[in-house]
This record gives sequence, C-alpha cells and structure tokens, in this order.
Amino acid sequence: MKCKAKHIDLISYLDNELLGEKKSQLEKHLEECADCRGFLAFLKDEMKVIENEKNQELNPFYFTRLSAKIEQPIGFTPERSWIRLAQPAFFTLVLFLGIYGGIRVGSIVNTDRFAQPDSASIQLLNDFDSEPIESFLLSEL
Amino acid sequence: MDESQLIAGIQEGDRKSFQILVEKYQGMVVNTCFSVVHNRADAEDISQDVFLEIYRNAASFRGESKISTWLYRIAMNRSLNFVRNKKRKGFFQTIEDTFKGGRNRNTEISENRSDQPDRNLTDQQRADLLHRAIDRLPEKQRTAFTLNKYEELPYLQIAEIMDISLASVETLIHRAKKNLQLQLYDCYQKKCV
Repeated sequence: MKCKAKHIDLISYLDNELLGEKKSQLEKHLEECADCRGFLAFLKDEMKVIENEKNQELNPFYFTRLSAKIEQPIGFTPERSWIRLAQPAFFTLVLFLGIYGGIRVGSIVNTDRFAQPDSASIQLLNDFDSEPIESFLLSEL
Repeated sequence: MDESQLIAGIQEGDRKSFQILVEKYQGMVVNTCFSVVHNRADAEDISQDVFLEIYRNAASFRGESKISTWLYRIAMNRSLNFVRNKKRKGFFQTIEDTFKGGRNRNTEISENRSDQPDRNLTDQQRADLLHRAIDRLPEKQRTAFTLNKYEELPYLQIAEIMDISLASVETLIHRAKKNLQLQLYDCYQKKCV
C-alpha cells in the first residue's frame, strides 16, 4: 500500500516537479525499496520514448504536396471517391444475397410431409359414416 | 514578417505568406499530430489538412489568440477525430486496405524500424507500450498530457488551447500521469518489455 502511494509521485519525480518534503520522503523510500527503484528505472526508459519522438524528420516535399492539395477542388479526394460508391454497393449486394439465400433455403425445405392426409385415408380410420352410433347402440340392445 | 502580416497576406491569397507560415510551423504541427496518431505518414496527412483549413478559413481568424494556439487547436481536434474515425471504421478499413493493397499497421511498424535501424526491437516494444497506454487515457487527459510532454507547453498555454481553466489543466495532467503509471506498473509487473 505504501509503495502504491509512492508510485503516483514517480512520474512527477522524473519531471522534477516534486519538491521539499515529498521529494525527500520519496528518495528515502527509493533507497529502501528495490521494487520502486526498478519501476522508476522502467518509467525512465518509457519516458525516453517521448524524448526520441519529439522532433520528427521534416519532409522536404511537404509544401509541394500541400500546394497540390490547395489546387484540388474542395471535398474532392480521388482516392476515396470510388470507395464511397463501392461501400453502399457492397452492402446492397450483401442484402440481396441474404434475401435470395433465404428464399432458396425456404424453397428447398420439403413441406409435403406436413400436408394434410387425403380424405380417402381419413375415411378408413373414420368409420363414423359407415357405422353410425345409433346402429351400434341398437345392436347392443 | 510578423503574425498579423502573415495572416493578412494569407487572407489576400498571397501564396508566399502561406509558405512562410507553413515553413515556420510545419514541425510543430506534424509533431503534435504524431503525438496523437503515432504514425508518421498519417501525421503528415493530417498536418496538411490543418494547413489547408488555415488557408481556406484565414478570414475567420480574428487575431484574439496567437497563430500557434489556433494551429494547436485544429491539429489536436483533427488528430483526435482521425483516431475516433479509425476505431469506428475498423471493419471498413480492412476492406479498403485489401482493395488498395495498401498500408496496414504491420508494414508501418516495419517502415518505422527501417527508418531508424539503430532502434532495436525492445525500443519499439517500449514505444508501442507507451503509445497504447497514452491511447487509453480519456481524451481530455490525453490532450493535456500530450501538449505538455511532446510540445513542452506551459499549463497556461494549454489552458488557452483547450479553452479551460488553469486548475483544470493541472488536474487533467495529474490524473493522466496517475493513470499512465497505473497502466505501466501493470506492464512492469507482467514484464511486458
């Protein structure tokens, strides 16, 4: 817990922003704590990345490219103009393919087995017409 | 030529004044864009858009702030918009790169390495780690931290660029440092580099 509280100050310490009592307390802690010393060294190496990246190399043809862009009409980007057409076309195509695929899958499924059985087969099972209940009851009597 | 003369020249369409402005501030704008997008080619493209905007909207500059403040503000906004759009376009960007046979992150990393042959693999890993940590910061913290660390701007100037109070800048930078060290400590413990 003590180390975590010190970690917060480490970047400020590297930036020479810690002063007075806080600085001396941190330095005393660093003498005693190997983990914090290790982390400080790690942070130092990381912050060096910023130093290395601060000054980017300048492109000698920068203004030439910029001048060419100034000459172009506003809103025109030749590289992107075909992409603006291609993207909606692509997604329209995907949509139609999806609908077509769904119709095709639906037509392949055999719905015949779900069809109602014809009346002749029902007739054999249903002998209500051939043998009315009254005649059955009368015969029982 | 002082700033007001430069702007007056650009407003009149004087290409020479614009060239002087570009040569004076090119480094600053490219560095600012690079600190956000971490890619040299993208930083150059975005910086050119910044200057294009200056050229086309010079009439709207009222001279209430310095040209550098105006440039920083546009550069940061455009760079952050670029990063946001890039995240949003993830899938579409893959298709575009496939059609264009164009650039992807891996080739750009290898290009950066070949530009600096003395930079070994660990240095590149360190840079990637720091960039990822900065990218994860909330936008305002990232802006304030980037302007302070990469451009070495004083808090007062950062406050002017971001149009916030000095106390807010101090808070943002303090929180940014705290968040960064939390992320970096996590990586330190896991021995990422």
